[in-house]
Amino acid sequence: MPIHEKSLIDGVIEKDSAVVDGVDVSGRWNTFIKERLLTDYHEDFVQEVKSLQGGKTVTNCWQCGTCTSGCCLHTDYGLREFNPRYFIYLAQTGNVDELKKYENVIWRCISCNKCVERCPKGVKVEEVVHAIDEVMRKRGLAEDTPGSRWDRTYLDNIMVTGVLDELGLTLKYVRSEKPADFTRGFMARMAFKILKNGNVRTGPIRRRTKGWKKMKKVADSILEADGYGSTK
Amino acid sequence: MAQQNEKMAYYPGCSMDGLGKAYQKSTEVVFRDLDIPMDRIKDYNCCGATEVKNISYDLSVFLPTRNLALAQEMGAKTVIAPCNGCVYALARANKTISEDSGSRERLGKYLAEADLPQYSGEVEVKHVLEVIRNSVGIEAVRSKVSKPLKGLKVACYYGCLYTRPKVYTGAGLQSGKDNPEHPFFMDELLQAAGATTVDYPVKTICCGGGHTIADREVSIGFSAAILNEAARAGADMVATMCPLGQVNIEMNIPKITEQYGAGIIRPVVYFTQLMGLAFGHSRREMAIQENLSDANGVLKRMGY
Repeated sequence: MPIHEKSLIDGVIEKDSAVVDGVDVSGRWNTFIKERLLTDYHEDFVQEVKSLQGGKTVTNCWQCGTCTSGCCLHTDYGLREFNPRYFIYLAQTGNVDELKKYENVIWRCISCNKCVERCPKGVKVEEVVHAIDEVMRKRGLAEDTPGSRWDRTYLDNIMVTGVLDELGLTLKYVRSEKPADFTRGFMARMAFKILKNGNVRTGPIRRRTKGWKKMKKVADSILEADGYGSTK
Repeated sequence: MAQQNEKMAYYPGCSMDGLGKAYQKSTEVVFRDLDIPMDRIKDYNCCGATEVKNISYDLSVFLPTRNLALAQEMGAKTVIAPCNGCVYALARANKTISEDSGSRERLGKYLAEADLPQYSGEVEVKHVLEVIRNSVGIEAVRSKVSKPLKGLKVACYYGCLYTRPKVYTGAGLQSGKDNPEHPFFMDELLQAAGATTVDYPVKTICCGGGHTIADREVSIGFSAAILNEAARAGADMVATMCPLGQVNIEMNIPKITEQYGAGIIRPVVYFTQLMGLAFGHSRREMAIQENLSDANGVLKRMGY
């Protein structure tokens, strides 16, 4: 059985009374494929991914698995559930139910682009994976994740003056997400060291990009067209 | 000295005026010593790094394009960026505009709306490391060294987006670019500065910097892997070339010490800081004390 069908096998299946073509097949089966209907597959899913600029190359994939074998998260970190090849396969076939199981895994991609570098078919895997994540959230299949909240906090931050304010970004994100090891003591120690060196650009000394107002107007219109809403 | 006639614009990126000030200071000194001009793009804006593209494709191309358009207005043929994330974002915008006519049309409209000059992808994007190695040359660097880093074992950490992906940066496809899978430019430069560079397997692994705060487990895991492999290879310190990677590893050091012990901790410095030391500048001038990790101990022992 091809490995990409693994989603159809759901552990050991017990059939009390099952007859296929007049043969009794009741009993315990460990490779019993779940019944599935054509309507379980959402063919328009891949079209929606493809319609996004980042997901344009999703249909180029021929499932060789080069992306996954080199993936920093999958191989080096050891997060085996993170499998970009499989995500693309599920998106291509429109197996949304299975994709939904990975809603808490897909966002953890850290954009190291090793997959894009190595893909023999020119699939921009990293962008495609993010496009799949985006479509899932658009369709209400996945909740907001720390990753998407981080991206949004980042965008809101740079939209204020045009340049990043690292300390402001960190404070805002930590305040709303409260990561366990960003304790007050740790933050204070870091802030003291950073402020002592003056390596900071927050508050009144924050530099503004000249002509950013005009730029922000255009950026806001782009975001609105992409359905993001306005930035604070 | 092989001096390029083409004008190069310097795009500092947000970090260089913030957390990466030590990198900025040391880069300025090294550029001055090697006679590389540093013409900053005035009023640059954030390139969007890898975050904005997850929200809006057009905006993630538009933000870096503004910087490229400003560089072109300055008359520059090349943009130098010191940060891997910036190199990636700028190169990605460049490639998109020069190869995708649809995107070029839309971007042209946006640029006109924001009263910016039109841009069609002629400027080349280079990392500071590539510029130092290619426009000056290894020999010139060697001739500048007055206090060689004798006996210092350095693990060169390149990070992810320096050469990757080759479809954007052109690494391995164009001349003057590093090898995308086995980069060696920093090793060459630091060897020219007298240091011994160690060979270790995670030179181009991700540091988890994209999710430093959003995904603590992954970020700590990668930072620990880098420090651990560097320690195993016998390195005295780790040299980086990206402010995000540097700050990410340094911020994780307390947690790594807690989880894996202090034995694998190595101080992290920017490669320009080490080059500046070899050129005869003091530790204070190279802003070693501004790094969050403490490299002063090792360097003092080496006689700097």
